[in-house]
Amino acid sequence: MATTTAPPSKPPVRRPPAAPKTPMTRKRREALAAYAFLAPDLLGLLAFVAVPMVLALGVAFFKVDGFGNYQYVGLANYRLMGGDDQLWASLKVTAIYVVSFVPIAFVISFGLAMLVRNHFRGIGWVRSAFFLPHVVSLVVVGLIWQFLLVDKRGAVSKLLAPFGLGDVSFLGTPSLALGTYVVISVWFVMGYQMLVLLAGLKDVPKELEDAAQIDGASAWQRFRFVIWPLMRPTSFFVVVNSTIGAVTGLQAFDLVFVLTKGGPARATSTVVLYIYEQAFTFNNLGYAAALTTVVVAILVLCTGLMFAFTKGGRFDED
Amino acid sequence: MPATPSLSRPLSRRSVLRGGLGALAATAIGGPLLTACGGDGGSGGDGKEMSFWNFYGPSDDGGPQSKWFVDVAEQWNANNDVKVKLRYIPGKDYLNGTTLQTAFQSGEGPDIFLISPGDFLRYANGGVLQDLSPALPDEAKADYLPGLLEARSVDGKVYGLPMEIEPLAMYYSEAAFTKAGLSEADLPKTWEQTLAVAEKLTGKDRYGVMFETLPGYYQNFTWYPFLWQGDGTPIKDGKVAFDSPAAVQALKFWKDTIQNKVAPRKALGDGGGDVVSNLGSGAVALQQSGIWAVADMRAKAPKFKYGIIPLPTPPGGKPATDLGGWAFVANSKGKNPEAAAKFITWALGSTDAEGIERQRQWNTVVKTNVPPRKSVQQAADAKGAFEQGVLKQFVDEIAPTGRPEPRFPPEVYQPIADAIQACQLNGSDPAKAAADAAERIDTFLKTYQGAPIS
Repeated sequence: MATTTAPPSKPPVRRPPAAPKTPMTRKRREALAAYAFLAPDLLGLLAFVAVPMVLALGVAFFKVDGFGNYQYVGLANYRLMGGDDQLWASLKVTAIYVVSFVPIAFVISFGLAMLVRNHFRGIGWVRSAFFLPHVVSLVVVGLIWQFLLVDKRGAVSKLLAPFGLGDVSFLGTPSLALGTYVVISVWFVMGYQMLVLLAGLKDVPKELEDAAQIDGASAWQRFRFVIWPLMRPTSFFVVVNSTIGAVTGLQAFDLVFVLTKGGPARATSTVVLYIYEQAFTFNNLGYAAALTTVVVAILVLCTGLMFAFTKGGRFDED
Repeated sequence: MPATPSLSRPLSRRSVLRGGLGALAATAIGGPLLTACGGDGGSGGDGKEMSFWNFYGPSDDGGPQSKWFVDVAEQWNANNDVKVKLRYIPGKDYLNGTTLQTAFQSGEGPDIFLISPGDFLRYANGGVLQDLSPALPDEAKADYLPGLLEARSVDGKVYGLPMEIEPLAMYYSEAAFTKAGLSEADLPKTWEQTLAVAEKLTGKDRYGVMFETLPGYYQNFTWYPFLWQGDGTPIKDGKVAFDSPAAVQALKFWKDTIQNKVAPRKALGDGGGDVVSNLGSGAVALQQSGIWAVADMRAKAPKFKYGIIPLPTPPGGKPATDLGGWAFVANSKGKNPEAAAKFITWALGSTDAEGIERQRQWNTVVKTNVPPRKSVQQAADAKGAFEQGVLKQFVDEIAPTGRPEPRFPPEVYQPIADAIQACQLNGSDPAKAAADAAERIDTFLKTYQGAPIS
């Protein structure tokens, strides 16, 4: 294998570091290795995220008709937003979605992580079961739920029929559709968040908990004063990640697109779906690009505020 | 065999680094190669091959409709220097996806493609549709039923040739009617009767009647007939006319079906037009859909007993239906627009025996449509295609009351869609919804510059 051709290929760990031929210090080699490891991701991010983002920002100043014609319009696309009622309506939908989805998903995922933190028989199965929804494509998730939630004949309707709720249409009633969509998203995302939080919980030193227990702390006190403070950075990561996902992630688009196409009566028309409509139904690609920049700005602002208020999730560290 | 032989060998960082850099180099070299392989079918090239994007064939299932497209392309290619190359795009992506739009935006649009009335003006105003008139003989023009070419023309120039006519009707389940103790005499003729009958047909597992509930072009398409029945129209002589009693009553009718709990808020399967999944499964007893469902039922639920009736009318209203149907169009910025126009007029407009047979096959054998050309209708009649049953009803009774699907641009479609959704599913006041939509359409029309909206 690799040892046949290159003469000095023994692992450097075993060799005394004083090789006068190599001018590179260990530190520089480390740095070089780090950059090399980062390079594939960085190049991908540059090519597929950064460059398109800059281009989108540029397109936002043009009227683009969808047939390859660009006309410079300055800030006109941004001025349009003020009078665009549907944009505000869709921002409101997204806001309601975020403030309900993020906390619910977090609390449930945290609960699950606590539940599967300790070893018991079949723990692997239980963890896998919670994580399973996340490995399914969102389109499939949408179709499964659509099937479960069929009006009158779906499994959910049958379950609720004894309570007189057999003809409730969860996806067809404006007041229920967004809530239904929150439930489905939580179901989808909880396994992933559970896993991240579980990794955080594994880092909480057992000795601290044990010490607290010996000092007579109750289960709640151990959670409140030992686990929770140490879990802040992980929790912060999960909440920030979850917020961004809720605004722009796949669940903000794929699920809605499959389940309701923004209906009934625009009740699930999220801002990402609205941008999609502007771009591909109305051919207003310039306006859509401008909307994207605004959404990104809002997200950056929200995340920045979260960072500022929580000191990067550490809250009390100075 | 031990499970971890390779993992136990210590890996030096340098060898990882070397491997990583090698992979990077490979990506750098391979990247351009990969991109060079992608993106077939767009513009550019030598003008000897025309791409034809469609949602029929060659599909994976290779069904009769796919085969019809493949055969047409093969036949053309056998006799012409400029070849046609089909590209199949799944229907959902073609209708709601981004493939076509992004291709046009980047100047890589197909040479020939399919267009629905709802998309016509967007592409016509974008200046990418090729005038087919020079390639279309007068004889062929005269063969089309009245109004069909006009709906795809601007300033007397024909930009699209329709491949089919798809009228809408109400499908009913014989079993559901019998079970509810109803007979043929109870088939509803008016909106009021529809609501009353639907109530009787609604049960624990079934809704009495169903209209499309998912927002989109299709929903609007199915709603327009109810507007027309009361002599309403969204736009008249270039001015908004949506705020009318006809619009208000049509919005109210659909609203009533939901408020009275006799219609579902969400359809099964592929939505309101999918008769197999809804009527065929017994989930509804009466369902609005198009002529395409006859072929669907024949293929997927051949034993299911159903019938059709014309769309019910309001008091004092006149019968009306919407004549949907896709058209072939050519890209004026494509590689060879003249050849593309010739292909289209040959494929759909030929008046020789072979051309008529090709159209008869499409409209009555591999699909169920009303043929858009008189000669094709005659040929189909001669073969007994419309002699009896629901197809006869479609041709004799329903299609004559139809109007071509309106070619509203998205800015007109959207306010109407919002009004329908708000009334049907959110219980909004029809009068207010109609007024709101009219205002939005009016704002748009004031600055609209493009081909006349009809």
